[in-house]
Amino acid sequence: MNGNVIIIGAGRVGSSIAALLNEQNYHVTVIDKNKDALMNVEDFTGYFEVADASNIEVLQRIGIKNADVVVISTEDDDTNVFLTDVCHFVFGVPRIFVRLADAQKERLCRYPSVRAILPFLLSLDEFSREFQSAVANAGSRR
Amino acid sequence: MKIVIADGLHEADYLINLFNRRGNNLIVINRDEKACHYLSERNNIPVIHRSPVRENNLLAAGAKGADLFIALSQNDIKNYVACKTAKQLLGVKRCIATVVNPKNVSLLKKLGVDAVLCATYLLGEQIHSSASLDSLIDSLSLEDDKIQILELRIKQDDEACGKSLEQLNLSGIASISCVYRQDQGIIPNGKTVLQDGDKVLLVTTAESMERVTALFRRKRS
Repeated sequence: MNGNVIIIGAGRVGSSIAALLNEQNYHVTVIDKNKDALMNVEDFTGYFEVADASNIEVLQRIGIKNADVVVISTEDDDTNVFLTDVCHFVFGVPRIFVRLADAQKERLCRYPSVRAILPFLLSLDEFSREFQSAVANAGSRR
Repeated sequence: MKIVIADGLHEADYLINLFNRRGNNLIVINRDEKACHYLSERNNIPVIHRSPVRENNLLAAGAKGADLFIALSQNDIKNYVACKTAKQLLGVKRCIATVVNPKNVSLLKKLGVDAVLCATYLLGEQIHSSASLDSLIDSLSLEDDKIQILELRIKQDDEACGKSLEQLNLSGIASISCVYRQDQGIIPNGKTVLQDGDKVLLVTTAESMERVTALFRRKRS
């Protein structure tokens, strides 16, 4: 894998992932409709484009065909579902991560090359772990 | 038929009127409250005020297993996701979406929407077809524009007028399916002779379109 990552949507999730992968020296391209989104990504050394990814010509222009991984993280679940299908069925992107707020939508993205990221469930998981360990600790304090 | 009409305003109103008359089981769901009131009052039917892009909303509306799902909002992406949800998660048999962006017509078809309609796209097709042939009454594109169905009127000064289908020699480039003459539909054979006033229904491919239109454009010298 050449390490070509395209991140669509530089909101909180997208920009954190962009920063992380950038730091790990992947070749990162970020695309967002809003030109101010770049401010979210600190020390970003990758390529940033202001454009609407729901336009298929934009995706072609930013080199989606050469992407190894695409992270779809706009603020709208439906746009994310749509973009997942475009990346998967039209461009055959080998690995896709898609951010979804609504767990119900995850069923629309069940393909082998697609992994849904549900920030709410992830935080809930994490909270649950923290809570369990807090409870365990409280129990043992006498 | 169980038909779900999702979003839209005037288009939804028109379709409700159309389908309600023929005794179908109609389910109308709309994300906009004003639209719900409007459609409900005008057609005297219940309209469900919920967003059609969510599975549980469509389930609650009774859309499961519907024969037809029609997404009419002004947002192409929402229409796509509504159709996808209906088809993939609710077992709807056929889905239709309208789109605003003509470039989304082929894209949504490729992604599995059974029929995709765009006013601008159809307008472009009409203009394109009528520009190429002035005896053209109507045209229809199928299979992503690869198949063209044309309805032509034959006039006295056309070179094709007075010729039999055999003489026209359309073999390999077009097929005349039907000739409509004096209020009668005729299924023609090679010996059928075209007359002034005939309406001809012709099937051809995108590749052969030019040759076919050239042939029917020729006038008697």
